[in-house]
Amino acid sequence: MASGCFLDYVDPWVNWTWLSTHVPLFWDALQQHIALTAFAVIGGLVLSLPLGVAAHQWPSLRNPVLAVFGVIYTIPSLALFALLVPYTGLGVVTAEAGLIGYTVLILVRNLLVGLESVPQDVIDAADGMGYRPFARLVRVELPLALPAIFAGVRIATVTTIGLVTITALIGLGGLGQLIYKGLIENFHTPLVVATVLSIALALVVDLALIGVERLAVPWSRGTAG
Amino acid sequence: MNFRLGSGRTLAAIAAIVFAVTACGSTGGGGTASPGKGTLTVAGFNFPESSILAEIYGKSLEHDGYTITYKLLLGTREVVAPALESGQIDVYPGYAATDLEFYNKGAGEASGDVTATTAKLNSHLSALGLVALTPSAAVDQNAFAVTKATQTKSNLTKLSDLAPIGSQLTLGAGPECPTRPYCQPGLQKTYGITFKAFKPLDTDGPLTRAAFKNGSIDVGLVFSSDGDLNSLGLVVLQDDKHLENADNVVPIMRQAAASDEVKRVLNAIDAKLTTADLVTMNSQVSIQHQDADAVATAWLQQHNYYS
Repeated sequence: MASGCFLDYVDPWVNWTWLSTHVPLFWDALQQHIALTAFAVIGGLVLSLPLGVAAHQWPSLRNPVLAVFGVIYTIPSLALFALLVPYTGLGVVTAEAGLIGYTVLILVRNLLVGLESVPQDVIDAADGMGYRPFARLVRVELPLALPAIFAGVRIATVTTIGLVTITALIGLGGLGQLIYKGLIENFHTPLVVATVLSIALALVVDLALIGVERLAVPWSRGTAG
Repeated sequence: MNFRLGSGRTLAAIAAIVFAVTACGSTGGGGTASPGKGTLTVAGFNFPESSILAEIYGKSLEHDGYTITYKLLLGTREVVAPALESGQIDVYPGYAATDLEFYNKGAGEASGDVTATTAKLNSHLSALGLVALTPSAAVDQNAFAVTKATQTKSNLTKLSDLAPIGSQLTLGAGPECPTRPYCQPGLQKTYGITFKAFKPLDTDGPLTRAAFKNGSIDVGLVFSSDGDLNSLGLVVLQDDKHLENADNVVPIMRQAAASDEVKRVLNAIDAKLTTADLVTMNSQVSIQHQDADAVATAWLQQHNYYS
């Protein structure tokens, strides 16, 4: 039932004529790739912030939270999608459920590391100044944890840019769709161009995040990551 | 103060991204309602033939007045079947024997008889609220090919023609062929063909192509709808005694979406579709890198859908 196509014909790495007529295909894929990644990282952050803070406040939660998301991290994506499709459909919800699940582990870990690295004397000083626990968390601990949080966001983002490709299984996938096409049709152009674009995207986004971090955490310049 | 300023900018940036993403999400979803006959979602698997068939089904239904949403290049039946059962998609181009063996969990009920195979398939599908329509004559299954030279020399058209001359011919296929019922033992038992020799190669891959080229095999295992058969000068011999499982193209649908009109449109397509069409269209997509939807439109034009 599968079709294999193997020829003596040598396929060039990039067929520029074909590429020039298929630019919109790559542009749409790139946009979808960015949207899927952004949503996964932001969704992951929204979930990880309360989870990480709770695990920090109540240390007995720490291991269960890390264990649950550690297990989710190990579920093969094909199995996860097959289980979710009847409930969440063939689309963005299913894709994001998987991608967000995978980012939470990275983000919670970094959030915990950041919060745990806040020096005890800073916490004592804040207490001495009369901060209540919530105000101390928001105005002292979280800002000091920002460099570690940013490091987590950068890892999660770059990882997700790679992971998005697997959502091609359910007809999304961004650039993964084109990588898939190249593999199945034994056609180098979409494979090579989509791979290069996805690497470039990871580099550009990582640099952009470093820039944002410098604006948000100017005191930690040079020590990030 | 410094931090507050910084975090304000970060929040603004994050808010901008969230807004952009939600905006993307809302425009990406569901098609616009039209005054037509309703909306159907056509799915396809991630190989060119499936995209072509899905486009042909979709465009013919569109021509008939339906609004069509496509979900193409989906991974596997493990993902597509639950989506069909839950109504995420309405129809996908299936293959009678492969789909039967998927839905019966590999019970081995498929045979070379396409009518019996489809009937069995429907007995499994009906419990799930699904239905297989009338199978096409077009088929993508294991097949045995010879070169045009061999075909002309010995005047071959079907596998039965090999029986009297088998002792002069070498068979090439994957190394498992001598033990698989669909391969060497089946050719022996069903057709009475005993080959001079067997060469272990690959299943429909570059080794088989090379062996045809240098003449080290006379008969080789291929898939019946491979796009490169014509360009390589290979001819598939007809499986006249139905040794191979009947992987005829057949639309698999949700019963709720299978109105008489939809069935009429899709059955008319499958009645016209041939294996030779699949070979041609597969070569246009896989080898010439044309787009599947353009290839599908061209096929429909040839069959006077737009005239």
